[in-house]
Amino acid sequence: MLDIKNIYKNFGDLQVLKGVSTHVDKGEVVVIIGVSGSGKSTLLRCMNLLEEPSFGEVWMEGKLMTPPDPYLHWDVIRSSKTYRRLVSEGLSDDEAIKKIKAEDLLKERHPKYEGPEYVSQMKKIYEENGIDINLGRQKMGMVFQSFNLFNNKTVKENITLAPIKIGKQRLKDAKKRGKPLDKTPDDIVNEANAKAMKLLERIGLQDKADVYPSTLSGGQRQRVAIIRALAMEPDVMLFDEPTSALDPEMVGEVLDLIRDLVKDGMTSVIVTHEMGFAKEVADRVIFMHDGVIAEEGTPDQVFNHPQNPRCREFLSKVLK
Amino acid sequence: MTFFTNIAKIMAKYWQTFLLQGIGYTLLLSVIAVAGGAFFGSLLALAKRSKLRILKALVNALVEVVRGTPVLLQLYIGVFVFPMLIPRLSSLPYIYSVSIVLVINSSAYVSEIIRSGIEAVDIGQMEAARSLGLTQRTAMLSIVLPQAVKNILPALGNEFITVVKETSLASTFFVGELMTAYLKVKGNTYLTMECLAIVGVLYFALTFILSKLLKAMERRMKARA
Repeated sequence: MLDIKNIYKNFGDLQVLKGVSTHVDKGEVVVIIGVSGSGKSTLLRCMNLLEEPSFGEVWMEGKLMTPPDPYLHWDVIRSSKTYRRLVSEGLSDDEAIKKIKAEDLLKERHPKYEGPEYVSQMKKIYEENGIDINLGRQKMGMVFQSFNLFNNKTVKENITLAPIKIGKQRLKDAKKRGKPLDKTPDDIVNEANAKAMKLLERIGLQDKADVYPSTLSGGQRQRVAIIRALAMEPDVMLFDEPTSALDPEMVGEVLDLIRDLVKDGMTSVIVTHEMGFAKEVADRVIFMHDGVIAEEGTPDQVFNHPQNPRCREFLSKVLK
Repeated sequence: MTFFTNIAKIMAKYWQTFLLQGIGYTLLLSVIAVAGGAFFGSLLALAKRSKLRILKALVNALVEVVRGTPVLLQLYIGVFVFPMLIPRLSSLPYIYSVSIVLVINSSAYVSEIIRSGIEAVDIGQMEAARSLGLTQRTAMLSIVLPQAVKNILPALGNEFITVVKETSLASTFFVGELMTAYLKVKGNTYLTMECLAIVGVLYFALTFILSKLLKAMERRMKARA
């Protein structure tokens, strides 16, 4: 469902991600653990392109969300002038590709330098697979450490804003394409409101629908943030340390809600420091260290029989 | 005692010069400067957030120059340079050139106010909106800007008060605002202190009322949030 291919992320000279590849299957729950600064949050933010990866590709349901990365497509490399030059200098196909990748020869110049064939190959990949970032993001719900509820909107407006705005936009687009939908803008507003109330009931906060987020407790805010993401009916939920900013007595209510979602089969990627929770809900655990995936496996494999010394060290510290 | 009787006499004879012409022109210039400043300042603020580096550099240069030189100097340049560039201006009163300079000056300050107002909104608000699949434009218009306005309006009010006082420099070109009224009446009556007192009280009254209005507005905005 979600495919991460060879992601690199640099912040200036700082390399935060150094080639991360993984995939998330439908219904799977992936938990990412690791020390602070290991790149786990950055990886999650790269998944829905809140951080643009420096290299690499993100695929959501078979659609490419990032620009194509030439190094992941041999046809593209072979169409470049640099490749042809290297081959004419006597390198084999394999050697030339390896050299280009190792020395990063395609990225230092403007794409036009590599010739029209290269440019058209890159364009072709994007035209065949590319998807508008916003469309991709609508299928991914994101929950932040600091909640990020919209301060200028009521709880209900927080939940309905995106469904209404995007629903109305779809209506307009459909009309423009000559295939009008069987709905009025009012229908969309009513549907969104009804759904918001249903979601609020689910978390027992229906009486808070018309208050502003500043009057809610941390736990309530985070639960509203979660259902705000759910209101877009995402195919995958991304949780970025959802309980790290909460007072201890509020962690439980948020974890309960996430546990609920996961039980209902929601595909999820969770970055967390709650090891007990990770063990319980994860189908797969990823241990990040220094910008790469250092260990990956079932909770039993990672927590009980870790192979990587860094992972062992980390677990011995946090599981005490 | 003669001081106050003099003031009374001056006001009896010249109240129109002070109250109608003086305050009128001062407010007119201030409103033009701030309204124009708000409009062009918003455009400059947009330009500053643009991805075009050249545009950004040009706007930054303009803002730095405007903020780094005295208004009086800008007024002199404006009054002598604009008529050269736009010949039609040379036949018009100085107040046109003066207004243009004040608008440019105020745009620079307002653009900074708007930029910092937008930047003061937590980045998480934009991220949350984008993560839901909203476009940059929608996120800006429905989430970030409404919150930024709360930061911007009070500062914009202060800018308005500053501009009211800065328009006094336009008296160098005798455009008719309060300070010009002072120069005129003083020239006729030779009563310097009395005229200064009148103009001082009027400026103070203007800015005091404005700042009270602003406070009330701020309180209402806070009450709604």
